[in-house]
Amino acid sequence: MEAVLAQVEQLPALLAVSRSALVRDWDAQILDRALEWGRYFQHLHDRFLTRPRLREALGRRLRRGQPSLLLGFPQLGRCPQLLGLALLENRALPPAACRRLLLCLLQPPGVEADAESRSLPLLARRKAASRLLALPGGPPRSLEGTEPQLQAEAQLLLVRLREEEQEIVLASEAEGRQRWLSGVLEQLPQPRAFRVVAAALLLLGQGSSSEQAGGGGRDGNSLDGNQASATGGEGVAGPLLSWLLGNLERFSAFCRFLPGSLLASLAGHYSQLSRPYLDLLTTWGSLLLYDPLQGRWVKSCLDKAGLSWEELRERFGYLCRGSVLLGGQTQAALKLLKAQDGDFKVCGLSVWTDLLMEVEEYLRKEDER
Amino acid sequence: MAQDTTVPKLNFEYWLDKAIKWGQATTLESQKDVCFHLPQLQEFLHQVYETLKHMDSVLAIQQFPLIGQLLGRLCWNPFVVGYDESQKILMWCLCCLYSSEPQNPVELKANSWIRSLLCHLLSSSKWESNEAETSTFISTLGYTSSDYYCQLIKNMVFSLVTELGENQFNGLNIQGRVSASRVHAMSLICHPLVTLPDLMPLLETLLLYHGGASKEILSSEFLEAVNEAFLKKKISLPEPTVFSLWLRHLPSLEKATLCLLDQLVSIQMNSLEEVACVIKDSLLPQAASHPAIFRIVNEIFKNALLETDGTPEVMTIIQVFTQVFLQDHQNENKQHKFPLKAYFPYHHQPLVTALLRRPFVPATHWSQHLKHISDMLKALVEDKNISSLADLFEIWFLVAHFGEWLDIAAEELLKGAVEPDALLWLLAFYYCPQNENQQRTQTMVEAQAVYNHLMMLCSCTVLSVKDLEAAVYSIMDTGQYHNQYLVTHLLTNFLLFSSGGHMIAQECIYHITETTATSKEVCSLLIRTAYRINHNGEKNQRAVKLLNELLQKLTLKV
Repeated sequence: MEAVLAQVEQLPALLAVSRSALVRDWDAQILDRALEWGRYFQHLHDRFLTRPRLREALGRRLRRGQPSLLLGFPQLGRCPQLLGLALLENRALPPAACRRLLLCLLQPPGVEADAESRSLPLLARRKAASRLLALPGGPPRSLEGTEPQLQAEAQLLLVRLREEEQEIVLASEAEGRQRWLSGVLEQLPQPRAFRVVAAALLLLGQGSSSEQAGGGGRDGNSLDGNQASATGGEGVAGPLLSWLLGNLERFSAFCRFLPGSLLASLAGHYSQLSRPYLDLLTTWGSLLLYDPLQGRWVKSCLDKAGLSWEELRERFGYLCRGSVLLGGQTQAALKLLKAQDGDFKVCGLSVWTDLLMEVEEYLRKEDER
Repeated sequence: MAQDTTVPKLNFEYWLDKAIKWGQATTLESQKDVCFHLPQLQEFLHQVYETLKHMDSVLAIQQFPLIGQLLGRLCWNPFVVGYDESQKILMWCLCCLYSSEPQNPVELKANSWIRSLLCHLLSSSKWESNEAETSTFISTLGYTSSDYYCQLIKNMVFSLVTELGENQFNGLNIQGRVSASRVHAMSLICHPLVTLPDLMPLLETLLLYHGGASKEILSSEFLEAVNEAFLKKKISLPEPTVFSLWLRHLPSLEKATLCLLDQLVSIQMNSLEEVACVIKDSLLPQAASHPAIFRIVNEIFKNALLETDGTPEVMTIIQVFTQVFLQDHQNENKQHKFPLKAYFPYHHQPLVTALLRRPFVPATHWSQHLKHISDMLKALVEDKNISSLADLFEIWFLVAHFGEWLDIAAEELLKGAVEPDALLWLLAFYYCPQNENQQRTQTMVEAQAVYNHLMMLCSCTVLSVKDLEAAVYSIMDTGQYHNQYLVTHLLTNFLLFSSGGHMIAQECIYHITETTATSKEVCSLLIRTAYRINHNGEKNQRAVKLLNELLQKLTLKV
């Protein structure tokens, strides 16, 4: 067993090498051996999948010596693809080895067409299909935050988080997970990261109906996360929310970047978000000053901080149109702010009075319709 | 040398020209053209690969200078890459062109380009700017493009299905949400992807989609492709979807029916259970519960019968199909079943009803019921108004569907029916419907003679072939083949079911089949009888045993 654990510990190194320039010195034989290792790791994964204690042991060993905690037990299962595609993309791989790689990847040795050799043509086909399906008259109208590409990324993120959750052995590992998540999300440009996280939270919040959209297939290619665990929702959303709320600057950028409708939707699902969001809007609101010459509220400082009156109004509007709970909460907050600010009835004196008036007006019109 | 002869066959210029015209297939016209050429293109690529795999890369590029351009362009056409096995063959070809020991910068460049093309197909393409970001994120998560695209396709399919589904809420068509041209475009795009399992929900939704327009909005190429894939068993669809396909696209239905006929005619019919099984699997009898489909299938069967001059195989197929159809119709628990008369609307309804009552008539009443049928038929046929040959044929064809009745008639006759003339007339009509020159009357007379002879022999327990000689002679000595069949039918039944007959059955039947041209009919009759006995639960072990022996020996000979 110790021998196996020692071998498993080599996987991160193997992957790292296959992505690096060190492959420059590889020949066809070394490549064969690398692919052999890949298959061996997959074999280990399949063998130990149903043996929790051994899984745990393997998983822990894998993480040792990995600062980024990138790889866990499930990654053993997709080793051949990870290796194969990493090597394919690695330009440093010399021609002889590369040719060997191509032959191994694309043409099954002998007659046995295992799932792996069938999977690459399938991948090419799916990729082409995704381009085709995006063709007819532009992508289908989708609500903000639910574009298929974004959803796919979000779903993978969620599945990975769930996998992580399953692999967590000690409490201290939870921190590791947080670190890992930050590391991953920081790889993306911030706007992209925000959209992915928002999409992920939306998927979790919408619960089982969107789980079906994600659809954990049972074919070998798909993710083996436990889609059935609804309880995973709470556990998985936690790290994402912590990431968002942990850093005020980040949270503020998040709220400014995403549209009001999406944020209202999220705030409706996650009470941990609604309070901070309202607080943020309050802060931004108090930055506005009334300009009597123009007859409207304007930003006091012309820097990027804060929102304009129109944007603020729109956001409050969405919040009030949200769930009953959220709408009530928002209106109550506005009333309180108005009261604290002097409880004026006339517009132009307190931004909160004006906002409340607008929102109530709008809601009344909605009711009448 | 082999290369010289194959080079002219590989028309690179033609395909390169096409590939350039298609571009990335963004216009409707180019899309239609690509879809039309996909099978031929795949065949061509396959031939290219077969040639390439024996060459080394340098030689290949010398022989086929255009190959690089062609493969490159094709890899950028998602219709080509998405189709069937084309992506596999393209990648194999690229593999063949990759040089393991590049000697000069040109080869190095070629290698690099092949790598890039493969990455374009499989992971993150250097030519698509937005893919790099996604790719990094995915690999940071520990996944590959395999996982990503698997998920992405599911999402896209779900999203499209939802979009189409929104248009049909509770059967009401909320028009204006999805335009007909968009649905048409969607169907065209799905054409190459028909055999991709992830697309199944979208295929189903499209096939069941009714936009309220009177014209078909799905592209006919798409419908054909789905039908092809279904008939070749590359995909399996739920029954309502298949029915919808056949209802909206006539060529598909026709093809399915012809395919079934082909299949059945080519298998050696050893037992009707096999035939019934194949028919059931085709889903045509179930689909035929829609009268429109039933009528078309019936027309095709009729034509097949006419074209093959009424060969017994086709006749049997029609009869078994009808039986399977009726069984299925009865088993269905649908609210709104069509009444059985709806399937034979142009015929004399009492006759239709009588013929359809087959499963409900107990064995003891068969004779009576058959007489009833015979009388009605006689009245219809001898009516002065039925003058045209076509009308007569239609009536005959109707009766032929229910050929089981005729087999029962022959059996009843030899069990000593009370009014044999009616039953004999029925058989005479079946084998010889026309009567302008009194052929039928003549047949009837001869049949009666044979019948009387056989009835006399019925009481004997020991028989020899000589006793049957008179009957046998009348079969052989003939200018009228329909008479041959009728007498054979009677004789065979006699041999199977009478106590004296079965002893000499084998000898006699072999004699008949060897000296006349009726072996196919005899075989067919034996198979039908075996099926009928098995399904009626009649306990006639002796007959069954005899039948099996006969069939074994006869099918070897045929």
